[in-house]
Amino acid sequence: MDVVSQLQRQFVDFTTSLYHEGFLDDQFTQLQKLQDESNPEFVAEVVSLFFEDSENLLNNLANALQQQIVDYKQVDAHVHQFKGSSSSIGAQRVKNVCAAFRNLCEGKNLDGCIRCLQQLKLEYSLVKSKLETLFRLEQQILAAGGTVPSMA
Amino acid sequence: MACKADLVVSDQFPTGLRVLVVDDDITCLRILEQMLRRCMYRVTTCSQATVAMNLLRERKGCFDVVLSDVHMPDMDGFKLLELVGLEMDLPVIMMSADGRTSAVMRGIRHGACDYLIKPIREEELKNIWQHVVRKKWNENKEQEHSGSLDDNDQHKRGSDDVEYDFSATEGAEELLITQKRRRDAKEENEELENDDSGTAKKPRVVWSVELHQQFVSAVNQLGIDKAVPKRILELMNVPGLTRENVASHLQKFRLYLRRLSGVAQQQGGFPNSYCGPVEQNAKAGTLGRFDIQALAASGQIPPQTLAALQAELLGQPTGSRALTGMDQPLLQASLLGTKSIPVDHGVTYGQPLMRCPSNISKQFPQTVLTVEDVHSGLGVWPSNDLGVVGASSNLGGLGAQSGNILMGMLPQHQHPCQQQQQQLKQSIVPEPSRSINVQPSCLVVASQSSASFQSGKSPASVNQNSFSKGCVIDYRHLSPQSNNSSVVAGLLSDGDVRRTSVLNGCGGPGSISPSVSSCSINADSSAGRHFSGVSPNISGVQGSYCSTSGQLLDQVPLRNLGFVGKGISIPSRFAVDEPGSPTSNLNCGKIYGERNGNKVKQEPRMDFVENVKVDIPILQNFSANDLTSVFSE
Repeated sequence: MDVVSQLQRQFVDFTTSLYHEGFLDDQFTQLQKLQDESNPEFVAEVVSLFFEDSENLLNNLANALQQQIVDYKQVDAHVHQFKGSSSSIGAQRVKNVCAAFRNLCEGKNLDGCIRCLQQLKLEYSLVKSKLETLFRLEQQILAAGGTVPSMA
Repeated sequence: MACKADLVVSDQFPTGLRVLVVDDDITCLRILEQMLRRCMYRVTTCSQATVAMNLLRERKGCFDVVLSDVHMPDMDGFKLLELVGLEMDLPVIMMSADGRTSAVMRGIRHGACDYLIKPIREEELKNIWQHVVRKKWNENKEQEHSGSLDDNDQHKRGSDDVEYDFSATEGAEELLITQKRRRDAKEENEELENDDSGTAKKPRVVWSVELHQQFVSAVNQLGIDKAVPKRILELMNVPGLTRENVASHLQKFRLYLRRLSGVAQQQGGFPNSYCGPVEQNAKAGTLGRFDIQALAASGQIPPQTLAALQAELLGQPTGSRALTGMDQPLLQASLLGTKSIPVDHGVTYGQPLMRCPSNISKQFPQTVLTVEDVHSGLGVWPSNDLGVVGASSNLGGLGAQSGNILMGMLPQHQHPCQQQQQQLKQSIVPEPSRSINVQPSCLVVASQSSASFQSGKSPASVNQNSFSKGCVIDYRHLSPQSNNSSVVAGLLSDGDVRRTSVLNGCGGPGSISPSVSSCSINADSSAGRHFSGVSPNISGVQGSYCSTSGQLLDQVPLRNLGFVGKGISIPSRFAVDEPGSPTSNLNCGKIYGERNGNKVKQEPRMDFVENVKVDIPILQNFSANDLTSVFSE
């Protein structure tokens, strides 16, 4: 039990910090609320969809910015998409970078865009590892026979 | 009746609201799906707009509301919005991460019922049912407004008969118009059916061919956008015609055009839409021939029409020779005026509505031709048959014909069809004068089918092949019963048919419940059965129907309607998008953006949407003459 409580506390602390640091926002809480008996793996499922999607988008973005003649409309479309999906799962910092990215696209600022893309990649990998840690914690708790604390 | 057409306003409303979600972002799609499920809605998800459109077309009446993302790779969300509004007239709610005022404004301009900004919360989704209700109620109100033509109550057989005595198109057209409107409303609200017949009885205006042509040219002159009843009235300069008459006729005309454009898109061209049906009918086979004979036998077809029809039909490939054997019974039946005829053939009415040059002077009536027209052998069946099978918005007859055509088209399903027809026959209680008119909207649906539906209870998440990849159809929440009823509304919405209880998928013999549309059948059958496109059982038929229609749709080359220009962008629903002006479209788009001063990002594929702005949305190509000439070929 000690192990479980410890893990649970870790889980709670970690989650709280994620919110504090802006990695996650309320939308993520919404996702957790959506998870229920009929969809026990909902959050994990959605998050992995997000990961897949994001990686594609990031690749597309990198390609688009490497073109001889950059099609900003296309770049913007990708960013827009990324913004949509990141906001849907509550990846707040990623979403914010996307917003900034869109402005750069409008301004057709290539350097700015490239830098922004780097930032986007960074934020994305951060939130990705955070979420993976979170899921790992969950698994550990469950494995130790405990229940995952609800943050809602 | 169990098969109530109006499912949405059911006891547990808004539970069970049928939502179609379209979003290329899989993450969002999954989240929305889950949220909507939690709202107790029946969700179908789609990640591609084109797939969504096919789904909507094939399963008309199977959805109550559409949720669509604005930015999608294969089709702009606004375009989808327009198409849905035109073809299915469903409420569409847009979604986007772009919450800028300009973007939202755009959504409104394009006719979105609502515009949700991502990330979307469950609470927001809980309320989307209001849009469905609102829309229905508004349509009902519209229905009630068509006072002058309300006399053409389907229940009033007397008047129907009288109208028949006119040239085929006149009275029939009237009737059809009214019926069509009725159907539209009925589809949403069954109660209206009986209410309207009695209310608002005004001196009836018979929209004769000439009158209608005057109307159409007045509209063209003014431009469909600017065509207000007052001005139309002035231009027409017909003594005794009231502004109100014109207003209601205009409403109907608009609806008609909407159907047209919807059909056109599917069929690839409307003006030739009359050709469309012909083609389709051709595929359907020789049905028409027999129908014509039947009709002729019943003395309803003028010789020239008959000749035209026959010429048309005889030259056609053998769609379903299998039905050949049906001639005799059909003929006899028609001679006897038995109601069962149509049932047996299932294709009776679709076919005869071939070109009738003599009678196809008005495009409007033609399109509107329904049972009555069939009766007279006139009327060109508006192409839609397959594409819009069961389109609720279609005239009842249309629906029936679609079903008919379908039957013709599915020779391999002859037996099951016949079976169904037999059963239908028995269950039909058509009125004598309507015998031939009775057209089971969905012949495919036999009373027997209800049984099959029942069996199809095992919902399953099926990835429907006919719909194509990327589209996940979740039938989990489909239930045969509810589907039937809801679908019925969608597909048939034909007071006529209903009354004759032709297609009583759910009811027993003689019941006049709304017919079950093939949509539901498909859904159900698909869900519960092996939706393999072609299966010998009834549900299979429907399934195949679905897939077939879908396939056929795809096969029909997109012809430029002229009326519906390329890009199928119909800003004001009637805009004609000149094919030769792609650049202008683009420019328009950009201009739009710039005009905003917001540096609105031009999303890919946004240009055609901009047509709304710049293209001259006048029915320039759509003139009485044009359509008429089509028939005079």
